[in-house]
Amino acid sequence: MIDRISRRELLSAGAALSAAALLPTSASAQGKQLVAATFPGTWNEAHRQYLAPAFTKRTGASVTQSILLGNDQLSRLTAAKGGKPPFDVALFDRPQVLDAAKQGLIVEYPAAKSANYKDVLPEFQDKWGPCISMQIIGIGYNPKKIKTPPTSWDALWDPQFKGRIGLTALNSQLGIAFLAEINRLRGGNEENFEPAFKALKELLPNVGAIGANLGAYATLWQQEQVDIAPYNFNFVQTLKGKDVPVELSIPSTGPVGWTTSMHLVANAAEPDLAVQYIDTHLDQAVQSAMLKPPYDVIPTNSKVQLEGAITTSIATSHADLAKVRSFDWEKLNPQRGALIERFNRDIKM
Amino acid sequence: MNLSDIKLVLPLTALFAVFFIAPLCVLIIMSLSTDAEMHAFTAAHYVKFFGDAFNYSILWSTIWLGVKATLVCLLFGYPIAWIAARAKARWQSVLLFLVILPIMTSVVVRTFSWIVILGRQGVLNQIVLGLGLTDEPLRLLFTETGVIMVLAQVQMPLMVLPILTVMSKTDPNLADASRALGAGEWRTLWKVTLPLSLPGIIAGCVLTYSACVTAFVTQTLIGGARLVYMPLHIYQQAVGANNWPFAAAISVVFMVAVLIIVGVLGALGRKSETYARP
Amino acid sequence: MPAPRHAIDWEAASLRIVFVTMTVFAMVFLIAPTVIVLITSLTASESLKFPPPGLSLRWYYALLDADQMQRAAWNSLVIAVWTTVISVVLGTAASIAIARGRSKWIKACDLLFMSPLLLPALAFGFAALVYINKLGLSPSVPLLVLGHVIVCVPFILRTTVAALSQLDSALLDASHSLGGSQWMTFRRITLPLIAPGLGSGAFLAFMASFDNVPVSLFLADERNEVLPIHLWQQIDTNLDVRTAAASGLIVIFTLALMLIAERLAGFTRQMR
Repeated sequence: MIDRISRRELLSAGAALSAAALLPTSASAQGKQLVAATFPGTWNEAHRQYLAPAFTKRTGASVTQSILLGNDQLSRLTAAKGGKPPFDVALFDRPQVLDAAKQGLIVEYPAAKSANYKDVLPEFQDKWGPCISMQIIGIGYNPKKIKTPPTSWDALWDPQFKGRIGLTALNSQLGIAFLAEINRLRGGNEENFEPAFKALKELLPNVGAIGANLGAYATLWQQEQVDIAPYNFNFVQTLKGKDVPVELSIPSTGPVGWTTSMHLVANAAEPDLAVQYIDTHLDQAVQSAMLKPPYDVIPTNSKVQLEGAITTSIATSHADLAKVRSFDWEKLNPQRGALIERFNRDIKM
Repeated sequence: MNLSDIKLVLPLTALFAVFFIAPLCVLIIMSLSTDAEMHAFTAAHYVKFFGDAFNYSILWSTIWLGVKATLVCLLFGYPIAWIAARAKARWQSVLLFLVILPIMTSVVVRTFSWIVILGRQGVLNQIVLGLGLTDEPLRLLFTETGVIMVLAQVQMPLMVLPILTVMSKTDPNLADASRALGAGEWRTLWKVTLPLSLPGIIAGCVLTYSACVTAFVTQTLIGGARLVYMPLHIYQQAVGANNWPFAAAISVVFMVAVLIIVGVLGALGRKSETYARP
Repeated sequence: MPAPRHAIDWEAASLRIVFVTMTVFAMVFLIAPTVIVLITSLTASESLKFPPPGLSLRWYYALLDADQMQRAAWNSLVIAVWTTVISVVLGTAASIAIARGRSKWIKACDLLFMSPLLLPALAFGFAALVYINKLGLSPSVPLLVLGHVIVCVPFILRTTVAALSQLDSALLDASHSLGGSQWMTFRRITLPLIAPGLGSGAFLAFMASFDNVPVSLFLADERNEVLPIHLWQQIDTNLDVRTAAASGLIVIFTLALMLIAERLAGFTRQMR
């Protein structure tokens, strides 16, 4: 077939394509664009599948996702402070909200411009930005290898799991929350992390792999390189949807979690679009869609009833959600850098 | 140097001056600054780099990684070049096409395929376990061995092409003469072919080494962020920790290290070319 | 002398056998990953298991909805075209001077232009970002193109200088003595003769820009996403099979371009 297309035709086709590519593409020709940050894993997938289309339908603008962990979003915003921020909508876990507000990286949420805000449950409303969900951690395990669901965090220290445990680095909230919970159970508090590090040192013989980031962590589960490890409720549901053998068990000490919220970044390029984006996430239809498997995103809109895996493992009603235990992030935040450094140096395989 | 030469080379030189030399100068100045605003100057970052065993070990493991990966490329790249040089024209084209194709494919794509292959349930382990070669699945992903394997595949064409170029230009009579004088094939290889192809080997090693050591995507995707080499270290400090002066210092150290090694290899290459001259 | 001849034959065969075996192994090693990713992208399931449980084109269809990926691909294409055009114009001019020149200044320029190939591109990318920042600018498409030109122009220089050095200078002299101007000699004589070499270099530069990660990592911001970085972000954050489909498309695209380059410019011959 190549023989029949003459050299001349190929060259002119190439020239035409190049000419098209060289034409300047102005922003107006493409329609407006909003850059919004989102977390890796469940979050960027759920946002891409449900939130982005609903937003585009509502405003006609397109969304570009910037996939970053909360801490990385903070550093990017700090680096760009004073100038144009790299994204207009930030997705933060509770700890980062406090830091961001203090540094002036986000602005107060204009609730008046947000139609769905009034439907958000009172405990999830906040002047800096509404909570769009909660994240819960528990013990993830491979049901093919472990027949009875573990009921306590101590199961991780069981010698029968030698080399089968997974851990995640402290750059993600999952890592920090796990550390804080172990710390609390072993007698420490937000100012004293010695019990936690002592416990992790004892855990080391059992550790088979340490995932440097959430993507690597997911790969470890998919390749069945770990059998039991701390994990997020949402990520487990999403992996299950991808045929990865994993289940989540909430230990008898109760579910531990934190809120996740969206914020308007200071000096945003498209502040109105940003508010519309956040408002779309509060919408009843969008939250109901994300509630379904494989995302199982815990809703914060009072009109959305809990259902599915959430009711079987975590909470049967909105009142239960308010009781999920969290930590004193104000006290914990300043130590985060030191904790990460200590983890990287001491907890090595 | 006449006027028309100057006019021809000026535009590109101007671009390089403004967008290559100038940024490198700014980088060096940044590495000697106390903070990103470059208010005052200090050598503290270099002291920190060479003083801390953690940093120093990253440099060392990166250099060593390059050596190992280059040797693997040489071990398998040389036979490919040898066969290709002696193949008929049509087969040579096909062989070259297949050798060049990987290097033209996006490095992200190629590294991604290795993630699929190297995992615990991946193809490699399926084959190895199925053939009964080992009892336990091989742990290759997120290990240095895995990184070396993938680097070898990704950069091998850079080793094959220069060797092939030199071999194509080598007088075949020399090898024939060796055989006519009674030396066997292996001896001919060792005493005649290898020395004559040495410039190509060294050129290949220079290109391959340089590419392996700076292969950010492969090192990071296969090594996982726990195996930190120099490129990732620079990136983590520059973007993750926002520590521009320190990141600049690491960059300068890295560049100087690569330049030294490449310079030494290049000098060896020029010396080896004297072997081929009558 | 039948006995010695037998011994030599066996010995010769042993070298061939070893080398052929190693070559076959190495070629499989080189090609297999690309083939495997192509097959994996045709999986009917949601996971990246190989061999795939069933075959289907569903993930290629899913790419039709991947708005962000399409935007990134278009950005990469536009940037690669601009980079190639600028590199060809500036690089060809410089190549002529380099192929001709014997002065040490020209040799120094040659070394300068080739140095981006040897220096860590990541360090250059970071240096460029710092530089732009100090100038008060922020990353944008034109600056990203300039960054790509720096790291891609060496490819054009290498093949074009090689092609120019094989030109018979008698041809150029003949053209001048017949009254041809510099420009006309270049357009009518030189250019057609070096076209395969120049074309191969342009192809290499185009692919180098399209696939570039180290420079784009620093100079491409979220609003101007490029494809390799987008794909990498996807690989790093989730196990989406769409990444495999996108990879499959890139492989097919590269293969097609290489076949065209081979047909038009005898690409593999230029590489020797």
